[in-house]
Amino acid sequence: MSDDIVIQTRALGKVYRDFWGRQKVRALKPLDLEIHRGEVFGLLGPNGSGKTTTIKLILGLLFPTEGEALVFNKRATDVSKNERIGYLPEESYLYRFLNAEETLDFYARLFDMPAETRKERVDALIKMVGLDKARKRQLQEYSKGMTRRIGLAQALINNPDLILLDEPTSGLDPIGTREMKDMILRLKEEGKTVVMCSHLLADVQDVCDRIAILHQGELKELGRVDTLLTVADVTQIRGRNLSVECQNEIRDVIARHQGELMEMANPSTTLEELFLSIVRDSEARPGRRANVETTTSA
Amino acid sequence: MVLENEILPYLQWLWSGSPGSLGAVPRFFLISLGLLLMGLMLGYIVAAARHGMLRGGDIVYRTITTGIRELLETSPRRVWALARLAMKEAWRRRVVVALVIFLIILVFASWFLRTDHQDPAKLYISFVLTATTYLVLGIALLLSAFSLPGDFKTKTIYTIVTKPVRAGEIVLGRTIGFTIVGTILLAIMGISSYIFVNRSLDHTHEIDISSLKNVSDANNETIGQDGRTTLDAHHRHEVELDNEGEGRALSNYGHTHEIVKRGDRSVVLGAEGIMRARVPKWGKLTFLDRQGVPKQRGISVGSEWTYRSFVDGNTQATAIWTFDNINASLNYDDGEQSGLPIGLIVRVFRTHKGIIGKAITGSIQVRNPESGLTSEVTPFSALDAKIEERLIPRKLTGTDDKQYDLYKDFVSSSGQLEVRIQCLERGQYFGFAQPDLYLRLPDASPLVNYLKVYLSIWVQMVIVIAIGVTASTVLSGPVAMLFTVSFIVLGFFRPFFVGVALGTEYGGGPVESFYRLITQKNIITKLEESLIATLIQGADTVFKGFMLTLAQVLPDFSALSTIAFAAFGFDVPADQVYQDLTMCLAYVIGLAVVGYFLLRTREVAR
Repeated sequence: MSDDIVIQTRALGKVYRDFWGRQKVRALKPLDLEIHRGEVFGLLGPNGSGKTTTIKLILGLLFPTEGEALVFNKRATDVSKNERIGYLPEESYLYRFLNAEETLDFYARLFDMPAETRKERVDALIKMVGLDKARKRQLQEYSKGMTRRIGLAQALINNPDLILLDEPTSGLDPIGTREMKDMILRLKEEGKTVVMCSHLLADVQDVCDRIAILHQGELKELGRVDTLLTVADVTQIRGRNLSVECQNEIRDVIARHQGELMEMANPSTTLEELFLSIVRDSEARPGRRANVETTTSA
Repeated sequence: MVLENEILPYLQWLWSGSPGSLGAVPRFFLISLGLLLMGLMLGYIVAAARHGMLRGGDIVYRTITTGIRELLETSPRRVWALARLAMKEAWRRRVVVALVIFLIILVFASWFLRTDHQDPAKLYISFVLTATTYLVLGIALLLSAFSLPGDFKTKTIYTIVTKPVRAGEIVLGRTIGFTIVGTILLAIMGISSYIFVNRSLDHTHEIDISSLKNVSDANNETIGQDGRTTLDAHHRHEVELDNEGEGRALSNYGHTHEIVKRGDRSVVLGAEGIMRARVPKWGKLTFLDRQGVPKQRGISVGSEWTYRSFVDGNTQATAIWTFDNINASLNYDDGEQSGLPIGLIVRVFRTHKGIIGKAITGSIQVRNPESGLTSEVTPFSALDAKIEERLIPRKLTGTDDKQYDLYKDFVSSSGQLEVRIQCLERGQYFGFAQPDLYLRLPDASPLVNYLKVYLSIWVQMVIVIAIGVTASTVLSGPVAMLFTVSFIVLGFFRPFFVGVALGTEYGGGPVESFYRLITQKNIITKLEESLIATLIQGADTVFKGFMLTLAQVLPDFSALSTIAFAAFGFDVPADQVYQDLTMCLAYVIGLAVVGYFLLRTREVAR
């Protein structure tokens, strides 16, 4: 396994069995996968497709029925690999009787960090996830978004090289979702490897370099997002300030070359973009009705 | 006080054990080896069944090698972090409620405990210490059995095991965390119960002026007064006063009072010696039968409990204790009397009533086991089960009517001294066990002794926590609790459990007992030979083998408890404390290793 490969699975499979050892469900059929250093990799699929099972097998939370998973060239069951891993579970499974500071301090201790480093790291992460004002509040008083953010902070406490995010935007509002996506891109810029699984396709499309699509525990597609999404026989032209005459001329040119004009219209923005523009405007001019150019392109 | 098993010197217990048995260390390693082999075999069978014989072997090999490496990589910082978490969790689970319950028990105890009991200190001390034991073991059980399963249920364990945390650290962290919480609870209970016992039993008396009578010496000069105190706390004392009006209220109900002069009246001060810590020096007990022939035991008077055996009155039957290392440094001398202090407990068995409550007469002699020199008979009166404290005078008359010195003439050159007790009344019997006669060394501090008893409760608590945490690595909360409860119950009845496994108890093994129960057969008669009987005994052979194996790892909670020492006013021997602490350490280490492998070989997620 080359140094460039962070995660490798070889015919990794998982069958859930009942108490008597009878097969209940085959959650993952033999999966061969390589995830490279510095990429953002997405595991896509509907509920029950085997995404979370794959993540759990990679983390050693489950034992494979067949095959094996290697992380940093170590077996998934080798605890020492966790030194370089950060994991954000689907829901932030944290101790609700601790406050943010205690939570991060606790997880930092699990990495055997000395007191000074621990304090600095906890401070920096609390500020990074925007929980500075709530650092002394118990997690049971946190909203779902806040819990998610402290969950992310615990996943980053050891400044990991590999971050595994299970449904990272689940339960987040659009601003939180955008911040999470920005965070993932920032981690990528820092050279980290990010593996995320999600069924929110737009999120995956926005941040992932490569994706694997799973369905019924089977790998259906694997490749670069841009390659997979490129439609080879369709050409898209985008222009600004085109007159009606110009548009007619373009139609003529397409017809002359035996092409088929599929659509020529003014594009609409996404609801996410509109929402974020309104919130930004509201923050800039509090107390006034939002004034956002709906025709403005992103 | 009953002491069924001799307390061996610590080093002997550790390395060689009592004659015919193994020392604690070799026993620990043998049991560990047995467990290791069983674990390997079981692990391989499961792994081979799931993954095939070759891969199964590979998995078992990797589990063992990784396990050894990871156990050596245990990080104190991570263990401490997990221990702190366990403490916070315990606090969140309102563990402090246990203290409230304890305080309520103390408040109501003073309503129901009788202060007119012959030995109220024994009653109070045994009550508070027993209550503390059960309460603390209950808390330890609940905390330890439900903690890890709670983490599995809420999935918080995901965020722990995906950090570089070794499974052993999780087990050890929980054990240490809950132990600290339990220690704090125990400390508070210890302080409050000590104050409770002392405050409840403390009392004073007035001197009954009308009872005072002058005491004169040989020249008819008044040297003081005798009398008694008023009746308070259900008892009164005889008093002896000097001409200054100062003196003592004599021992009754296990205590005395000092009497001092304040102004023009004599004042009885608070009770002394309610809590004591007698330090006994035990000897070896042998017997002579009624014809004077040496025997290892006396006769049986029909009691099923064979702890004591008896000497019959007005015969040559004698109980003989041989003490080692006797010298003049053991002598007690207060100016008025000088001699070797002894304590004696006699169980009296009567074959005819006589006068109820009247003491039975016995005799004490000392003998030099080397020269055979024997003192003349000193008679004494024995009340059943009462601790008699007396001095063997330093100046003794021999059977030849000559005067001898106890230490020079009755102690052999190797430092041995024999003390012989006989019952002098025909038809009556004295019953003795080895600890019933002891030489009294200076008393130890009752407070320190109380602490030692709490230390033994602490040891039991730690063992329960370690069992609970280990069980909870693979079992759900309620099942882990039941498992731990079974361990505790079997541990309290371990001698009986071992007896059933060895076939020394009446009624046979579990299947035979069940058969006798449903067919209403008594436990003494043999089962008639039949196919059913053969099948039952065959099944019992399997059960007994299993029970005997289980008994090897079963903690003997009854032997760990030292409540009886404090209740009867005896110092807990240091050897006992060291043995308990060593056993505790062995259980924690052993169970942490077992817990490591159990947690390591289970899937954390579902």
